[in-house]
Amino acid sequence: MPLRSALPRVVLAGLGACLVLFIVGPLLRLLFFATPETLGEALRDAELRDSIALTVFTATAATVIAALLGVPLAYLLARRNFRGRRLVQGLIDLPVVVPHPVAGIALLLFLGRRSEVGGALANVGLEFVSHVPGIVAAMLFVSAPILVSGAREAFRSVDPQLERVARTLGDTAWGAFRRVTLPLAARGVLAGSILAWSRSVSEFGSIVILTYNPKVASIYIFDRFTTFGLQSAVPAAVILLLVALTMLVVVRVLQPQDRQ
Amino acid sequence: MIRLDNLHVRVGTFDLREISLEVPKGGYALIIGPTGSGKTTLLEAVAGHARLRSGRVFMHDDDVTHLPPERRGLGFVYQQYHLFPHLSVRDNIGYGIRAMRPGSMTLDPDARVEELAGMLAIEPLLNRSVRGLSGGEQQRVALARALAPKPSILLLDEPFAAVDPATRQVLRRELRELHEREGITTLQVTHDFDEALRLGDLVAVLSEGRIAQSGTPEQVFRYPNSAFVARFVGTGNVIAGTVERTDAHGEPGPFRGQFTGGNLVLDVVAEREGPSHAVVRPEDIVLSLTHYPGSARNHMEGKVVRLERLGPVTLVHLDVGRPLIASLTTQSVEEMRLKAGTAVVVAFKATAILLV
Repeated sequence: MPLRSALPRVVLAGLGACLVLFIVGPLLRLLFFATPETLGEALRDAELRDSIALTVFTATAATVIAALLGVPLAYLLARRNFRGRRLVQGLIDLPVVVPHPVAGIALLLFLGRRSEVGGALANVGLEFVSHVPGIVAAMLFVSAPILVSGAREAFRSVDPQLERVARTLGDTAWGAFRRVTLPLAARGVLAGSILAWSRSVSEFGSIVILTYNPKVASIYIFDRFTTFGLQSAVPAAVILLLVALTMLVVVRVLQPQDRQ
Repeated sequence: MIRLDNLHVRVGTFDLREISLEVPKGGYALIIGPTGSGKTTLLEAVAGHARLRSGRVFMHDDDVTHLPPERRGLGFVYQQYHLFPHLSVRDNIGYGIRAMRPGSMTLDPDARVEELAGMLAIEPLLNRSVRGLSGGEQQRVALARALAPKPSILLLDEPFAAVDPATRQVLRRELRELHEREGITTLQVTHDFDEALRLGDLVAVLSEGRIAQSGTPEQVFRYPNSAFVARFVGTGNVIAGTVERTDAHGEPGPFRGQFTGGNLVLDVVAEREGPSHAVVRPEDIVLSLTHYPGSARNHMEGKVVRLERLGPVTLVHLDVGRPLIASLTTQSVEEMRLKAGTAVVVAFKATAILLV
């Protein structure tokens, strides 16, 4: 009996181990491919430093915009049963299934000078194509669904009765949200924001179409690879990987204990 | 004072209708009813959480029908307590005082929290997180939190449902004392009629979204107006049957009649003929070991099924062709040497039979 019941478990564990190794293996290989010298050299490269600074700035801007627009929407989706809720939910998730170059082309058509929206925005000095706002727009497009769904689940995990209790204790609707629901959902909302930020940092497919220059880190790495070859792309790739790993750890720490 | 004037609330497919009730200032009213009768919905309507389809809610002569919950000046203790998990016990209790609009009544939060903690014996808990409190402790914190802003009205939703019986008794006593000390008009929901008898000045029995009967607990218990109320408040023996007139004179008013329910035939004083329920309170049933001549016309033979001792009172479960329960003093049960299987004569007076 023990042998029989142990066998499937060994098979399952073996299959899982293959996948884990497949994910960890390449990343470890990349980490050890770079030497401290090449990393140091890469960090002294002003162009790489600029591209990392640009990436951090644009990803942060996209996350802040996504949070300002997305957190209220996430609250509505979690708490209110309005007509068309499922439709809105589906539309918000749309960018997840759209291939990123397709998203890039759609954004180009929508925000380019020749479109009505893009033309109007260009007239007030907001240019997207081949400008920094284009990077932010592309990042916002691909990362907003992640932030909204993270925040929505965070709000959903807070007992709605708590707000009612706060109201009977004399608090206004806004006060109850600010003093009860928001603090209780804060960790989840923050974790969702960091995931969205990471998604923005790793975006390539739509940015490459909308704004090749100035280069964000992912485009910089691609540019190095196609122009100078593998050796030249590795140090920048390692640095980007380290940024991503740090964020993963932060998200893990923020996640509520009982969900792990 | 709380006055509900013909409320109608719809939640999903459930309707709470024709709810009219007045709780005088400083009164203690209980809404009782089985699960699903609309008790909690009724409280939510009073609190302002449920939208009314029609009707009005008055508090101290002010029409609050259209006021949001935070402007009704009430405290609400929920069945599951719903303490704020991110706040300490102290901050939970002080929440309502801190949430007050500036310029309205000012209370010193710290002093008020200490005062309530003293009253409810929870001072040692004040700096603890609410996670890990026992049911009874959570209950006390929830009560202190609701009372902190000095509401003039307190709503309680099954406040003792989730605590053990010993704690329940203590909490009931404390709640009654608090009610008297703070003079708060209180409306409590319960499914336990016993609680209503112990706590309430006024009882309303809710059935399928309507008030089946309201009055003092004593009135409702003694004179239930329907078989549902009689069964629910535990009045005792409820027998379905039919009333027939036995005196030929067709004068209006009460008449002598015969109630037939299964094999049970009872002489009764009735006010109308036709299908009816006879309610016989256990303490109105007389047991004897032999026939005796007397005014009790309703005699029948039966057998003791089992005895249920409740201290000085013993419930005697009988079989007279159908089950009946009689309530006797334990002393007389012992004197009559009643035990399971004893043959007895069961008797009750026609006037002790309540037809509903």
